[in-house]
Amino acid sequence: MPPARFPIPQGTLDMLILQTLSLEPAHGYAIAQRLQQVSRETVQVNQGSLYPALHRLEQKGWLKASWRQSETGREAKFYSLTRAGQKQLAVEKATWNRLTTAVQLIFNEGE
Amino acid sequence: MARFLNLLPWRRRRLEQDLDRELRDHLDRRVADLTRSGMSDHEARRQAALEFGGFVQVQEEVRETWVWRWLDQWRRDVRYAARTLRRGPAFTAAAVVSLALGIGANAAIFSLVDQTLLRTLPVTRPDRLVQLGWHGNSLSSAWGTGWLLSYPLCRELQEQDRFFDGVICRHPTAVYLSIGQQHDQVRAEIVSGSYFSVLGVRPEQGRLIDPSDDRQPGAHPVVVLSYTYWQRALAGAHDVVGRAVLVNNAPMTVIGVAPPRFTGLDPLDAPSLWIPAMMKKQATPEWDRLFDRRAVWMHGFARLKPGVTAAQAREGLQPWFASMLDADTGREGFPKVTADQHRSFLASTLDLEPAPGGLDTLQAAVKQPLLVLMGGTLLLVLLATLNVAGLLLARGAARVREVTTRMALGASRGRVTSQLLTEGVVVALMGGALGLLVTPLITRVLLLFLPEGAELTAGLDARVFLFATVISLATGALCGLAPAWQARRGALTSSARSQVSVRGAVRLRKAIVVTQMAFALVLLIGAGLFVQTLARLYGRDLGFASDRLLMFRVEPDAIGHPPGEAAEVMRTLVRRLQAVPGVEGAAVANSSLLTGGSPRRTLTIQAETRVVTERSVPIMRVGPGFFAAIGTPLVAGREFTADDARDIETRGYRAVIVNERFARRYFGGTSPVGRLVGVGNQPNTPTTIEIVGVVRDFNFRFVRDDMEPEHVFFPFAETGPLAGNGTIYLKVTGAPESAAAAIQAAAAEVDPRLPLLSLRTVGEQIDRVLRSERMLATLSSGFGAAALVLAVVGLYGVMSFVVTRRTQEIGLRLALGATRANAIWLIARDAMVMIVLGMAIAIPAAGALRRLVEAQLFGIPAFDGPTIALAAGLLALVALAAAMLPAWRAASISPTDALRLE
Repeated sequence: MPPARFPIPQGTLDMLILQTLSLEPAHGYAIAQRLQQVSRETVQVNQGSLYPALHRLEQKGWLKASWRQSETGREAKFYSLTRAGQKQLAVEKATWNRLTTAVQLIFNEGE
Repeated sequence: MARFLNLLPWRRRRLEQDLDRELRDHLDRRVADLTRSGMSDHEARRQAALEFGGFVQVQEEVRETWVWRWLDQWRRDVRYAARTLRRGPAFTAAAVVSLALGIGANAAIFSLVDQTLLRTLPVTRPDRLVQLGWHGNSLSSAWGTGWLLSYPLCRELQEQDRFFDGVICRHPTAVYLSIGQQHDQVRAEIVSGSYFSVLGVRPEQGRLIDPSDDRQPGAHPVVVLSYTYWQRALAGAHDVVGRAVLVNNAPMTVIGVAPPRFTGLDPLDAPSLWIPAMMKKQATPEWDRLFDRRAVWMHGFARLKPGVTAAQAREGLQPWFASMLDADTGREGFPKVTADQHRSFLASTLDLEPAPGGLDTLQAAVKQPLLVLMGGTLLLVLLATLNVAGLLLARGAARVREVTTRMALGASRGRVTSQLLTEGVVVALMGGALGLLVTPLITRVLLLFLPEGAELTAGLDARVFLFATVISLATGALCGLAPAWQARRGALTSSARSQVSVRGAVRLRKAIVVTQMAFALVLLIGAGLFVQTLARLYGRDLGFASDRLLMFRVEPDAIGHPPGEAAEVMRTLVRRLQAVPGVEGAAVANSSLLTGGSPRRTLTIQAETRVVTERSVPIMRVGPGFFAAIGTPLVAGREFTADDARDIETRGYRAVIVNERFARRYFGGTSPVGRLVGVGNQPNTPTTIEIVGVVRDFNFRFVRDDMEPEHVFFPFAETGPLAGNGTIYLKVTGAPESAAAAIQAAAAEVDPRLPLLSLRTVGEQIDRVLRSERMLATLSSGFGAAALVLAVVGLYGVMSFVVTRRTQEIGLRLALGATRANAIWLIARDAMVMIVLGMAIAIPAAGALRRLVEAQLFGIPAFDGPTIALAAGLLALVALAAAMLPAWRAASISPTDALRLE
């Protein structure tokens, strides 16, 4: 199956990245793997599109990056959450919850 | 802001490498995983690439986040700043206007500095040009100012091709130019044949003067017109080449037109035409001496050979120069001088100075004042900047809550900083734009104070625009820095409890006010010095009665009267003018008072022994009744009579009048009347001229200095070529302005075609001479006043803020029994500390800056106690008055109201 462009909106991808990194620092490949595992393969990530998002978040000051030795012994660029990033994640989670609750309410009404 | 750094090439390279490494690492890991699951290496690579998507496209998208995000943020910052600024229109207007004035004034002065001082000549490799000068005593008579050389020496310098790629000489003068029906008195440059080719200037029309025009005196009647004159007087006629013209009534032919940008070697004296040196006799009919080695009148310039430095050329030419000196002493006609003078002559050296901008000596008059003003406007801009910074800080304090909230919501410290900086920059750019609108107006005012002929313009060009932009950006950054710093501090305390950061902000604002006080005081001291200088110069006794004294030049020889007739016109004119009602006295002289230069001659004096004047002495030729007309009394002897002025052509001078200093210097206490002198310093110089009078000292050349204080006066000849033009002086009884019409009518009776050139009162001439002093006094007063207002507004702002913040405290104190005087003192003390601190900075600073202004002052030291005291007193008075308003408000706080605020 040819991989489609990542279907979920940018903001959501950002949120997922932040969430993933809130557990522990990781490099790009690991993040991609984790996203796929956690979403139980329902979300097909076009892996390359992860990187513009990572760099954007880094520029915003929500992530910071450094080259470190990885589990395989090779050097990899590890991303971790900054304090601003943690705050941002909290804000986005709250927003997301409000949004989904609202959408759910509307759906329920229709039933 | 940091994002912007990503545009820097080295930073950019690192980011690229990093990204490449990161993406490859990802692919490698995927390939490794896939092969482990059993795929062939080739298959795994294909699969990994497929999953990854376009490698190049990903790279491109990542790159965009580095740069575009920054631009995007910046755009958002600007929009945010604009919104904030729109919400406080009064603040914005005040900030923009004060910055506009500062930046506008700065750009105006920069445009003049740029046009006069920074520009190089529009010639080939101006950086290779040097000016040549005789350093030492040349035992010569001089015509002109600055470094002067004789024409023969100029020719010999042209042979020094070991160091030079050519040597040029020039002499500025005024000539009467007639083309068809057009008659003008215009500036001209008398030049060596090498002039245009060495400079590398190409003709706009026809050809330029070249070495073939430099062969035989009187044999090269050709002129080159300036582009401006061609356009102005001839409307750019294309048949200009070959036209016949009259230069001082001598027929010559136009051979070409110079290119538009080339205006001669003196940026402040643009000629309308160029005349070959060989035509000197026609160009300056009063004197020739083209081949006289002891007549210096030309400015010499050389083009250094590639690879040769000025120092090498100076050193390398010394042996030749020394042998030239030695040969000169043996020549026929070398002056008979004392052993001392002989020694100092032989010790002369040839000096070389880089001259990429052409003649520098005349620029000196403009350079220093402009640099002083530039310094003044920079201080003013800083003051305005500090004011805006203070205002932004005040608003910043009010916005602490906003900033803290934004940071709590996740805005990074850098974002907030960059936002505040942007606000400052936006204000400053608005100020700069408005400033550029007023710049041409300010420049136009400044031009009134600068010499004419400089062809300076008030327009804006790319360089002025760039300068204003740079100043605006710097100003903006400075404005924004203080609030940004404050925001950082606010962030450190990291809570909406803003007490700490407010206290920090107050301290910062107080520091700003102290700096403002210091700047304002420096500018006020400067204004005081320049105003007093001007007052002293105007108050100076120049030795003649300048009120009701008119003068104008007439040059009958230049409009076609042959020499004998021209002298007759002059005589008739003076006689006719003496009969005009309201004219008390009329006399003629060779030159106008206070116009700078004068011819100089060395004299031989027959006293107890025969002595030669140490330097050449400035001379003036004056007609009978001259001293009575200008109101300078004789202290001994008599004025010239008509008899003294007769037959000078054939019999030479018989009478001379000397000034008091000359008498004192060469005759000690004894009266020189009846003693004999001769013109020249050669052993056989006849001494047959009798001193007939001693006149009180007066300044006939300059207002400012009395260097070379010895002057002598010869009779203005009745006949001959020297009698064909001169300046006529009139002492009138009524207002000089009303006499002018009668004078013009009388002159028209004598010759209706004769123009009265530069008709003005001597008082007006003094105004012209003191132009740069007036400019400094006027502008520095303006700067001082503006600085005072800005500083006081700053102080008032801080004090108001302090009173508001301490309302409760003061109320409490009042409730507990403090008097209103105590309350006033509480606030006034704060203000006084700032004022005194400002002074403590300003006074030593003024001392350090004194070198900058020393040369511009007259009769007052650059570090003058009374002036400083006066300026400081004024500042303290105004500042305290401004501080009193909030202090008064503090005193009238009602304790009950204040406490109720709690």
